[in-house]
Amino acid sequence: MSSHASDEHVRTLARDFSHHDEGLDVAFDVYRELRSRCPVGRSERYGGFWFVTRFDDIHRAEQDWETFAVAPGMLLPPMGHVRPGIPIDIDPPRHTAYRRVMLPAFTPQQIDSVEPLVRRTARELLDGVAGTGPVDAAERYAIPLPMMVFCELAGLPIADAAMLGDWIDRIFYVRTHDYADTERAAAECCAYLLDHLRRRRSGPLRDDLLSRLLTAEVDGRPLSDEELVDYGFVLLTAGLDTTSWVLRSSLWYLAQNAEDRARLVAHPELVAIAVEEFLRCLSSVQAMARTATRDTDLNGQRVSKGERVLLVFGAGNRDEEKFADGDRIVIEREPNPHMAFGVGIHRCLGSNLARRELRVGLEEFLGRYPDFSLAPGPVPPWYGIGPLPLHVSRGSLR
Amino acid sequence: MSSADHNSRSMENGTRRVEVDRSRCQGHNRCVALCPDVFEPDEFGYSVVRLPEVGREFEERVLMAERNCPENAISVS
Repeated sequence: MSSHASDEHVRTLARDFSHHDEGLDVAFDVYRELRSRCPVGRSERYGGFWFVTRFDDIHRAEQDWETFAVAPGMLLPPMGHVRPGIPIDIDPPRHTAYRRVMLPAFTPQQIDSVEPLVRRTARELLDGVAGTGPVDAAERYAIPLPMMVFCELAGLPIADAAMLGDWIDRIFYVRTHDYADTERAAAECCAYLLDHLRRRRSGPLRDDLLSRLLTAEVDGRPLSDEELVDYGFVLLTAGLDTTSWVLRSSLWYLAQNAEDRARLVAHPELVAIAVEEFLRCLSSVQAMARTATRDTDLNGQRVSKGERVLLVFGAGNRDEEKFADGDRIVIEREPNPHMAFGVGIHRCLGSNLARRELRVGLEEFLGRYPDFSLAPGPVPPWYGIGPLPLHVSRGSLR
Repeated sequence: MSSADHNSRSMENGTRRVEVDRSRCQGHNRCVALCPDVFEPDEFGYSVVRLPEVGREFEERVLMAERNCPENAISVS
Protein backbone atom coordinates (compact mmCIF):
# COMPACT_ATOMS: atom_id res chain seq x y z
CA MET A 1 0.00 0.00 0.00
CA SER A 2 1.38 3.44 -0.87
CA SER A 3 1.81 5.74 2.06
CA HIS A 4 -0.93 7.97 0.71
CA ALA A 5 -3.38 5.08 0.51
CA SER A 6 -2.24 3.91 3.91
CA ASP A 7 -2.85 7.37 5.43
CA GLU A 8 -6.28 7.36 3.86
CA HIS A 9 -6.92 3.94 5.39
CA VAL A 10 -6.05 5.19 8.88
CA ARG A 11 -8.22 8.28 8.41
CA THR A 12 -11.13 6.03 7.49
CA LEU A 13 -10.51 3.78 10.49
CA ALA A 14 -10.51 6.82 12.77
CA ARG A 15 -13.56 8.47 11.21
CA ASP A 16 -15.66 5.29 11.47
CA PHE A 17 -14.29 4.12 14.82
CA SER A 18 -16.94 2.54 17.04
CA HIS A 19 -16.61 0.57 20.25
CA HIS A 20 -19.98 -1.12 19.70
CA ASP A 21 -21.75 -3.67 17.53
CA GLU A 22 -19.88 -4.70 14.36
CA GLY A 23 -16.98 -2.43 15.40
CA LEU A 24 -16.13 -5.14 17.92
CA ASP A 25 -15.62 -7.77 15.17
CA VAL A 26 -12.44 -6.01 14.13
CA ALA A 27 -11.72 -4.10 17.34
CA PHE A 28 -8.38 -5.65 18.22
CA ASP A 29 -6.88 -5.13 14.75
CA VAL A 30 -8.21 -1.57 14.67
CA TYR A 31 -6.86 -0.86 18.16
CA ARG A 32 -3.40 -2.04 17.13
CA GLU A 33 -3.37 0.15 14.06
CA LEU A 34 -4.73 3.21 15.86
CA ARG A 35 -2.33 2.86 18.80
CA SER A 36 0.61 3.03 16.42
CA ARG A 37 -0.69 5.36 13.69
CA CYS A 38 -3.35 7.51 15.34
CA PRO A 39 -3.21 7.22 19.14
CA VAL A 40 -5.65 10.09 19.61
CA GLY A 41 -8.11 10.51 16.75
CA ARG A 42 -11.50 11.76 15.75
CA SER A 43 -14.51 9.56 15.03
CA GLU A 44 -17.66 10.95 13.47
CA ARG A 45 -19.89 8.35 15.12
CA TYR A 46 -22.33 9.10 17.95
CA GLY A 47 -22.20 12.86 17.48
CA GLY A 48 -18.42 12.97 17.08
CA PHE A 49 -15.72 12.28 19.68
CA TRP A 50 -12.00 12.05 20.24
CA PHE A 51 -10.77 8.55 21.03
CA VAL A 52 -7.69 7.71 23.08
CA THR A 53 -6.05 4.31 22.56
CA ARG A 54 -2.73 4.21 24.42
CA PHE A 55 -2.52 2.97 27.99
CA ASP A 56 -0.57 5.90 29.42
CA ASP A 57 -2.76 8.55 27.79
CA ILE A 58 -5.93 6.88 29.04
CA HIS A 59 -4.48 6.43 32.51
CA ARG A 60 -3.49 10.09 32.69
CA ALA A 61 -6.92 11.29 31.54
CA GLU A 62 -8.64 9.00 34.04
CA GLN A 63 -6.64 10.55 36.87
CA ASP A 64 -7.32 14.11 35.71
CA TRP A 65 -11.00 14.29 36.59
CA GLU A 66 -10.95 18.08 36.67
CA THR A 67 -10.07 18.30 32.97
CA PHE A 68 -12.01 15.20 31.90
CA ALA A 69 -15.44 15.37 33.52
CA VAL A 70 -18.05 12.61 33.34
CA ALA A 71 -20.98 15.03 32.92
CA PRO A 72 -23.33 14.85 31.12
CA GLY A 73 -22.72 11.10 31.02
CA MET A 74 -20.01 8.45 30.93
CA LEU A 75 -21.70 6.25 28.35
CA LEU A 76 -21.59 6.93 24.64
CA PRO A 77 -24.30 6.64 23.41
CA PRO A 78 -26.06 7.21 26.75
CA MET A 79 -28.35 4.80 28.61
CA GLY A 80 -31.62 6.53 27.74
CA HIS A 81 -32.26 7.88 31.23
CA VAL A 82 -33.68 11.39 31.56
CA ARG A 83 -31.12 12.41 34.20
CA PRO A 84 -27.47 11.58 34.87
CA GLY A 85 -26.94 8.27 36.64
CA ILE A 86 -25.65 8.30 40.22
CA PRO A 87 -22.77 8.12 40.90
CA ILE A 88 -21.38 7.24 37.45
CA ASP A 89 -22.32 10.47 35.62
CA ILE A 90 -21.65 12.84 38.53
CA ASP A 91 -18.43 14.80 39.08
CA PRO A 92 -16.91 15.86 42.40
CA PRO A 93 -17.80 17.20 44.86
CA ARG A 94 -21.27 15.55 44.72
CA HIS A 95 -19.75 12.35 43.38
CA THR A 96 -17.76 11.67 46.55
CA ALA A 97 -20.72 11.68 48.93
CA TYR A 98 -22.89 9.60 46.60
CA ARG A 99 -20.19 7.02 46.15
CA ARG A 100 -19.61 6.62 49.86
CA VAL A 101 -23.24 5.56 50.24
CA MET A 102 -22.67 2.33 48.36
CA LEU A 103 -18.93 1.63 48.75
CA PRO A 104 -19.38 -0.30 52.04
CA ALA A 105 -21.77 -2.72 50.29
CA PHE A 106 -19.11 -3.75 47.78
CA THR A 107 -15.98 -4.19 49.88
CA PRO A 108 -14.16 -7.53 49.69
CA GLN A 109 -15.39 -8.36 53.22
CA GLN A 110 -18.99 -7.87 52.09
CA ILE A 111 -18.39 -9.88 48.95
CA ASP A 112 -16.94 -12.71 51.07
CA SER A 113 -20.39 -13.03 52.62
CA VAL A 114 -21.96 -13.10 49.14
CA GLU A 115 -19.66 -15.82 47.80
CA PRO A 116 -21.76 -18.75 49.11
CA LEU A 117 -24.78 -17.33 47.28
CA VAL A 118 -22.76 -17.03 44.06
CA ARG A 119 -21.48 -20.59 44.39
CA ARG A 120 -24.89 -22.05 45.23
CA THR A 121 -26.48 -20.21 42.30
CA ALA A 122 -23.74 -21.37 39.93
CA ARG A 123 -24.20 -24.98 41.00
CA GLU A 124 -27.97 -24.83 40.59
CA LEU A 125 -27.59 -23.39 37.11
CA LEU A 126 -25.02 -26.05 36.18
CA ASP A 127 -27.41 -28.78 37.26
CA GLY A 128 -29.62 -27.62 34.41
CA VAL A 129 -26.83 -27.62 31.85
CA ALA A 130 -26.60 -31.41 31.55
CA GLY A 131 -27.91 -32.79 28.28
CA THR A 132 -26.92 -34.52 25.10
CA GLY A 133 -26.99 -31.73 22.51
CA PRO A 134 -25.17 -28.40 22.44
CA VAL A 135 -25.76 -26.12 25.40
CA ASP A 136 -26.07 -22.34 25.14
CA ALA A 137 -23.71 -21.36 27.93
CA ALA A 138 -24.76 -17.71 27.67
CA GLU A 139 -28.47 -18.29 28.11
CA ARG A 140 -28.11 -21.11 30.63
CA TYR A 141 -25.23 -19.81 32.71
CA ALA A 142 -23.44 -16.54 31.91
CA ILE A 143 -26.63 -14.45 31.75
CA PRO A 144 -28.63 -15.86 34.69
CA LEU A 145 -25.75 -16.09 37.19
CA PRO A 146 -25.16 -12.34 37.71
CA MET A 147 -28.89 -11.69 37.33
CA MET A 148 -29.94 -14.09 40.08
CA VAL A 149 -27.19 -12.88 42.40
CA PHE A 150 -28.16 -9.25 41.79
CA CYS A 151 -31.88 -9.86 42.44
CA GLU A 152 -30.98 -11.45 45.76
CA LEU A 153 -28.55 -8.65 46.72
CA ALA A 154 -30.88 -5.87 45.63
CA GLY A 155 -33.97 -7.43 47.13
CA LEU A 156 -35.83 -7.78 43.84
CA PRO A 157 -37.97 -10.84 42.98
CA ILE A 158 -36.24 -13.46 40.83
CA ALA A 159 -39.56 -13.68 38.98
CA ASP A 160 -38.77 -10.24 37.50
CA ALA A 161 -35.46 -11.42 36.01
CA ALA A 162 -36.78 -11.82 32.45
CA MET A 163 -38.23 -8.31 32.51
CA LEU A 164 -35.00 -6.84 33.88
CA GLY A 165 -33.04 -8.72 31.22
CA ASP A 166 -35.24 -7.29 28.48
CA TRP A 167 -34.64 -3.75 29.73
CA ILE A 168 -30.88 -4.37 29.89
CA ASP A 169 -30.89 -5.62 26.30
CA ARG A 170 -32.78 -2.59 25.07
CA ILE A 171 -30.68 -0.16 27.10
CA PHE A 172 -27.26 -1.48 26.05
CA TYR A 173 -27.66 -3.33 22.78
CA VAL A 174 -30.25 -1.20 21.01
CA ARG A 175 -29.01 2.31 21.86
CA THR A 176 -26.72 2.56 18.82
CA HIS A 177 -29.54 2.09 16.30
CA ASP A 178 -32.91 2.69 18.03
CA TYR A 179 -32.36 5.18 20.80
CA ALA A 180 -36.09 5.81 21.21
CA ASP A 181 -36.52 2.20 22.31
CA THR A 182 -33.62 2.57 24.73
CA GLU A 183 -35.36 5.61 26.24
CA ARG A 184 -38.60 3.65 26.59
CA ALA A 185 -36.78 0.77 28.28
CA ALA A 186 -35.01 3.14 30.68
CA ALA A 187 -38.32 4.84 31.53
CA GLU A 188 -40.02 1.49 32.20
CA CYS A 189 -37.10 0.35 34.30
CA CYS A 190 -37.12 3.56 36.38
CA ALA A 191 -40.89 3.39 36.93
CA TYR A 192 -40.45 -0.18 38.16
CA LEU A 193 -37.68 0.88 40.53
CA LEU A 194 -39.62 3.83 41.91
CA ASP A 195 -42.61 1.58 42.56
CA HIS A 196 -40.39 -0.90 44.41
CA LEU A 197 -38.64 1.76 46.44
CA ARG A 198 -41.93 3.36 47.50
CA ARG A 199 -43.42 0.06 48.58
CA ARG A 200 -40.22 -0.85 50.36
CA ARG A 201 -40.21 2.42 52.24
CA SER A 202 -43.44 1.56 54.00
CA GLY A 203 -42.37 -2.01 54.84
CA PRO A 204 -39.66 -3.39 57.12
CA LEU A 205 -36.08 -2.61 56.12
CA ARG A 206 -34.03 -5.51 54.91
CA ASP A 207 -30.36 -6.16 54.46
CA ASP A 208 -30.21 -5.40 50.76
CA LEU A 209 -29.03 -2.74 48.34
CA LEU A 210 -32.37 -0.99 47.93
CA SER A 211 -32.76 -0.75 51.71
CA ARG A 212 -29.29 0.73 51.87
CA LEU A 213 -30.36 3.42 49.41
CA LEU A 214 -33.52 4.13 51.38
CA THR A 215 -31.61 4.64 54.63
CA ALA A 216 -28.69 6.51 53.07
CA GLU A 217 -27.91 10.08 53.98
CA VAL A 218 -26.05 12.55 51.82
CA ASP A 219 -25.14 15.88 53.39
CA GLY A 220 -27.29 14.99 56.38
CA ARG A 221 -30.49 14.31 54.43
CA PRO A 222 -32.07 11.23 52.87
CA LEU A 223 -32.04 10.75 49.10
CA SER A 224 -34.95 12.20 47.15
CA ASP A 225 -37.15 9.96 45.00
CA GLU A 226 -35.26 11.14 41.92
CA GLU A 227 -31.90 10.37 43.50
CA LEU A 228 -33.10 6.94 44.60
CA VAL A 229 -34.16 6.12 41.06
CA ASP A 230 -31.00 7.56 39.48
CA TYR A 231 -28.85 5.47 41.82
CA GLY A 232 -30.96 2.33 41.60
CA PHE A 233 -30.94 2.55 37.81
CA VAL A 234 -27.15 2.52 37.75
CA LEU A 235 -26.91 -0.38 40.22
CA LEU A 236 -29.34 -2.37 38.12
CA THR A 237 -27.83 -1.64 34.73
CA ALA A 238 -24.11 -1.65 35.59
CA GLY A 239 -23.54 -5.15 36.88
CA LEU A 240 -25.63 -7.56 34.87
CA ASP A 241 -24.73 -7.88 31.19
CA THR A 242 -21.22 -6.57 31.89
CA THR A 243 -20.35 -9.53 34.10
CA SER A 244 -22.33 -11.92 31.89
CA TRP A 245 -20.29 -10.73 28.91
CA VAL A 246 -16.94 -11.53 30.53
CA LEU A 247 -18.13 -14.86 31.91
CA ARG A 248 -19.29 -15.71 28.39
CA SER A 249 -16.13 -14.43 26.69
CA SER A 250 -13.96 -16.35 29.18
CA LEU A 251 -15.85 -19.56 28.34
CA TRP A 252 -15.63 -18.65 24.64
CA TYR A 253 -11.85 -18.51 24.96
CA LEU A 254 -11.52 -21.62 27.12
CA ALA A 255 -13.73 -23.62 24.75
CA GLN A 256 -11.12 -23.00 22.04
CA ASN A 257 -7.96 -23.39 24.11
CA ALA A 258 -7.82 -26.85 25.60
CA GLU A 259 -4.36 -26.45 27.09
CA ASP A 260 -5.29 -23.38 29.13
CA ARG A 261 -8.55 -25.01 30.14
CA ALA A 262 -6.76 -28.13 31.36
CA ARG A 263 -4.31 -26.00 33.31
CA LEU A 264 -7.12 -24.19 35.13
CA VAL A 265 -8.93 -27.46 35.80
CA ALA A 266 -5.76 -28.90 37.31
CA HIS A 267 -4.95 -25.69 39.20
CA PRO A 268 -8.16 -23.93 40.24
CA GLU A 269 -6.07 -21.51 42.31
CA LEU A 270 -4.99 -19.94 38.99
CA VAL A 271 -8.54 -19.00 38.01
CA ALA A 272 -8.33 -15.68 39.88
CA ILE A 273 -5.27 -14.61 37.90
CA ALA A 274 -6.76 -15.89 34.62
CA VAL A 275 -9.86 -13.76 35.29
CA GLU A 276 -7.62 -10.67 35.24
CA GLU A 277 -6.36 -11.67 31.81
CA PHE A 278 -9.88 -12.22 30.46
CA LEU A 279 -10.80 -8.80 31.86
CA ARG A 280 -7.77 -7.27 30.17
CA CYS A 281 -8.44 -8.80 26.75
CA LEU A 282 -12.13 -9.65 26.38
CA SER A 283 -13.94 -7.18 28.58
CA SER A 284 -17.43 -5.76 28.25
CA VAL A 285 -16.64 -2.13 28.92
CA GLN A 286 -14.35 -1.43 25.99
CA ALA A 287 -14.52 2.32 26.52
CA MET A 288 -16.03 5.12 28.58
CA ALA A 289 -16.50 8.78 27.68
CA ARG A 290 -15.54 12.07 29.28
CA THR A 291 -16.09 15.72 28.38
CA ALA A 292 -13.21 18.19 28.29
CA THR A 293 -13.84 21.00 30.78
CA ARG A 294 -11.17 23.20 29.18
CA ASP A 295 -8.97 23.27 26.09
CA THR A 296 -6.32 20.65 26.58
CA ASP A 297 -3.72 18.51 24.86
CA LEU A 298 -3.79 14.74 24.54
CA ASN A 299 -0.61 13.19 23.14
CA GLY A 300 -0.11 16.20 20.89
CA GLN A 301 -3.74 16.44 19.83
CA ARG A 302 -5.59 19.63 20.71
CA VAL A 303 -8.95 18.92 22.37
CA SER A 304 -11.36 21.81 22.89
CA LYS A 305 -13.52 22.54 25.89
CA GLY A 306 -16.87 20.77 25.62
CA GLU A 307 -15.68 18.03 23.26
CA ARG A 308 -16.32 14.39 24.06
CA VAL A 309 -13.33 12.15 24.69
CA LEU A 310 -13.60 8.36 24.57
CA LEU A 311 -11.09 6.47 26.71
CA VAL A 312 -10.72 3.12 24.99
CA PHE A 313 -9.75 0.79 27.85
CA GLY A 314 -9.88 -2.20 25.52
CA ALA A 315 -7.18 -0.65 23.34
CA GLY A 316 -5.03 0.57 26.24
CA ASN A 317 -5.22 -2.84 27.86
CA ARG A 318 -3.52 -4.37 24.81
CA ASP A 319 -0.88 -1.64 24.47
CA GLU A 320 2.49 -3.31 23.83
CA GLU A 321 4.23 -0.48 25.63
CA LYS A 322 2.53 -1.66 28.81
CA PHE A 323 1.86 -5.36 28.21
CA ALA A 324 4.41 -7.49 26.37
CA ASP A 325 2.73 -9.42 23.56
CA GLY A 326 -0.41 -7.50 24.49
CA ASP A 327 -2.73 -9.12 21.96
CA ARG A 328 -1.97 -12.57 23.28
CA ILE A 329 -4.04 -14.05 26.10
CA VAL A 330 -1.63 -15.45 28.67
CA ILE A 331 -3.74 -16.82 31.50
CA GLU A 332 -0.92 -16.53 34.04
CA ARG A 333 0.18 -13.06 32.91
CA GLU A 334 1.93 -11.09 35.61
CA PRO A 335 2.11 -8.20 36.11
CA ASN A 336 -1.33 -7.34 34.83
CA PRO A 337 -2.36 -3.89 36.11
CA HIS A 338 -5.12 -3.52 33.49
CA MET A 339 -7.88 -0.93 33.65
CA ALA A 340 -10.90 -2.98 32.64
CA PHE A 341 -12.82 -1.39 35.53
CA GLY A 342 -11.41 2.06 34.82
CA VAL A 343 -8.94 3.77 37.12
CA GLY A 344 -9.15 6.92 39.18
CA ILE A 345 -12.14 8.16 41.13
CA HIS A 346 -14.73 6.44 38.92
CA ARG A 347 -13.30 2.92 39.33
CA CYS A 348 -16.22 0.52 38.86
CA LEU A 349 -18.07 0.43 42.17
CA GLY A 350 -19.01 -3.22 41.72
CA SER A 351 -15.61 -4.52 40.64
CA ASN A 352 -15.17 -6.71 43.73
CA LEU A 353 -18.53 -8.36 43.08
CA ALA A 354 -17.82 -8.78 39.37
CA ARG A 355 -14.43 -10.37 40.03
CA ARG A 356 -15.92 -12.77 42.57
CA GLU A 357 -18.75 -13.79 40.24
CA LEU A 358 -16.25 -14.40 37.45
CA ARG A 359 -13.86 -16.41 39.60
CA VAL A 360 -16.54 -18.53 41.26
CA GLY A 361 -18.49 -18.84 38.00
CA LEU A 362 -15.43 -20.21 36.18
CA GLU A 363 -14.30 -22.41 39.09
CA GLU A 364 -17.70 -24.05 39.22
CA PHE A 365 -18.06 -24.44 35.46
CA LEU A 366 -14.59 -25.96 35.09
CA GLY A 367 -15.09 -28.14 38.15
CA ARG A 368 -18.30 -29.58 36.78
CA TYR A 369 -17.43 -29.65 33.08
CA PRO A 370 -13.66 -29.84 32.64
CA ASP A 371 -14.01 -30.66 28.96
CA PHE A 372 -15.98 -28.47 26.55
CA SER A 373 -15.63 -27.02 23.09
CA LEU A 374 -17.54 -24.82 20.68
CA ALA A 375 -20.46 -26.62 19.09
CA PRO A 376 -20.06 -27.22 15.34
CA GLY A 377 -20.91 -24.21 13.20
CA PRO A 378 -19.60 -20.68 12.75
CA VAL A 379 -17.49 -19.38 15.64
CA PRO A 380 -19.72 -17.04 17.65
CA PRO A 381 -18.42 -13.50 18.27
CA TRP A 382 -16.13 -12.99 21.26
CA TYR A 383 -18.26 -10.08 22.45
CA GLY A 384 -21.77 -9.47 23.71
CA ILE A 385 -24.17 -11.79 25.47
CA GLY A 386 -25.47 -13.66 22.43
CA PRO A 387 -25.61 -17.46 22.16
CA LEU A 388 -22.50 -19.48 23.01
CA PRO A 389 -23.37 -23.05 21.96
CA LEU A 390 -20.96 -25.46 23.61
CA HIS A 391 -20.44 -29.15 23.33
CA VAL A 392 -20.08 -30.16 26.97
CA SER A 393 -18.69 -33.51 28.10
CA ARG A 394 -19.59 -34.70 31.51
CA GLY A 395 -16.61 -34.79 33.83
CA SER A 396 -16.40 -36.63 37.07
CA LEU A 397 -19.52 -35.89 39.11
CA ARG A 398 -18.97 -34.36 42.48
CA MET B 1 8.29 6.89 44.55
CA SER B 2 11.78 8.34 44.27
CA SER B 3 14.54 6.52 42.45
CA ALA B 4 16.37 6.20 45.75
CA ASP B 5 13.50 4.01 46.97
CA HIS B 6 13.91 1.80 43.94
CA ASN B 7 17.61 1.43 44.51
CA SER B 8 17.49 0.55 48.18
CA ARG B 9 15.13 -2.34 47.61
CA SER B 10 16.10 -4.48 50.54
CA MET B 11 16.56 -3.25 54.05
CA GLU B 12 19.61 -4.53 55.91
CA ASN B 13 17.78 -7.04 58.05
CA GLY B 14 16.02 -8.55 55.03
CA THR B 15 12.67 -6.90 55.67
CA ARG B 16 10.75 -4.70 53.26
CA ARG B 17 8.74 -1.63 54.06
CA VAL B 18 5.27 -1.54 52.44
CA GLU B 19 3.23 1.61 51.93
CA VAL B 20 -0.11 2.44 50.31
CA ASP B 21 -0.57 5.97 49.07
CA ARG B 22 -4.11 6.55 50.27
CA SER B 23 -4.52 9.53 47.97
CA ARG B 24 -4.04 7.20 44.99
CA CYS B 25 -5.79 4.03 46.16
CA GLN B 26 -9.22 3.64 44.54
CA GLY B 27 -10.20 0.34 46.09
CA HIS B 28 -9.44 -2.12 43.29
CA ASN B 29 -8.27 -4.56 45.97
CA ARG B 30 -5.80 -6.30 43.73
CA CYS B 31 -3.33 -6.13 46.63
CA VAL B 32 -5.84 -7.61 49.06
CA ALA B 33 -6.44 -10.52 46.69
CA LEU B 34 -2.72 -11.10 46.16
CA CYS B 35 -1.55 -10.69 49.74
CA PRO B 36 -4.29 -10.55 52.38
CA ASP B 37 -1.72 -11.01 55.15
CA VAL B 38 -0.27 -7.60 54.41
CA PHE B 39 -3.14 -5.58 52.91
CA GLU B 40 -6.70 -5.25 54.16
CA PRO B 41 -9.62 -3.15 52.99
CA ASP B 42 -11.14 -0.48 55.22
CA GLU B 43 -14.91 -0.07 55.57
CA PHE B 44 -15.08 1.64 52.15
CA GLY B 45 -12.84 -0.89 50.45
CA TYR B 46 -9.69 1.21 50.30
CA SER B 47 -6.45 -0.57 51.11
CA VAL B 48 -4.75 -0.36 54.48
CA VAL B 49 -1.36 -1.88 55.26
CA ARG B 50 -1.79 -4.15 58.26
CA LEU B 51 1.83 -5.29 58.25
CA PRO B 52 4.09 -2.38 57.21
CA GLU B 53 7.34 -4.31 57.64
CA VAL B 54 7.36 -7.70 56.00
CA GLY B 55 9.90 -10.51 56.03
CA ARG B 56 10.99 -12.74 53.21
CA GLU B 57 7.90 -14.95 53.43
CA PHE B 58 5.78 -12.14 51.94
CA GLU B 59 8.41 -10.48 49.79
CA GLU B 60 7.34 -11.91 46.43
CA ARG B 61 3.66 -11.30 47.17
CA VAL B 62 4.03 -7.64 48.15
CA LEU B 63 6.16 -7.03 45.07
CA MET B 64 3.38 -8.58 42.99
CA ALA B 65 0.88 -6.28 44.68
CA GLU B 66 3.08 -3.31 43.83
CA ARG B 67 3.38 -4.36 40.17
CA ASN B 68 -0.33 -5.12 39.76
CA CYS B 69 -1.81 -2.03 41.39
CA PRO B 70 -3.68 -0.18 38.61
CA GLU B 71 -3.25 3.12 40.45
CA ASN B 72 0.49 2.79 41.24
CA ALA B 73 -0.46 3.36 44.85
CA ILE B 74 1.82 0.76 46.45
CA SER B 75 5.49 1.13 47.18
CA VAL B 76 7.80 -1.52 48.55
CA SER B 77 11.23 -0.40 49.68
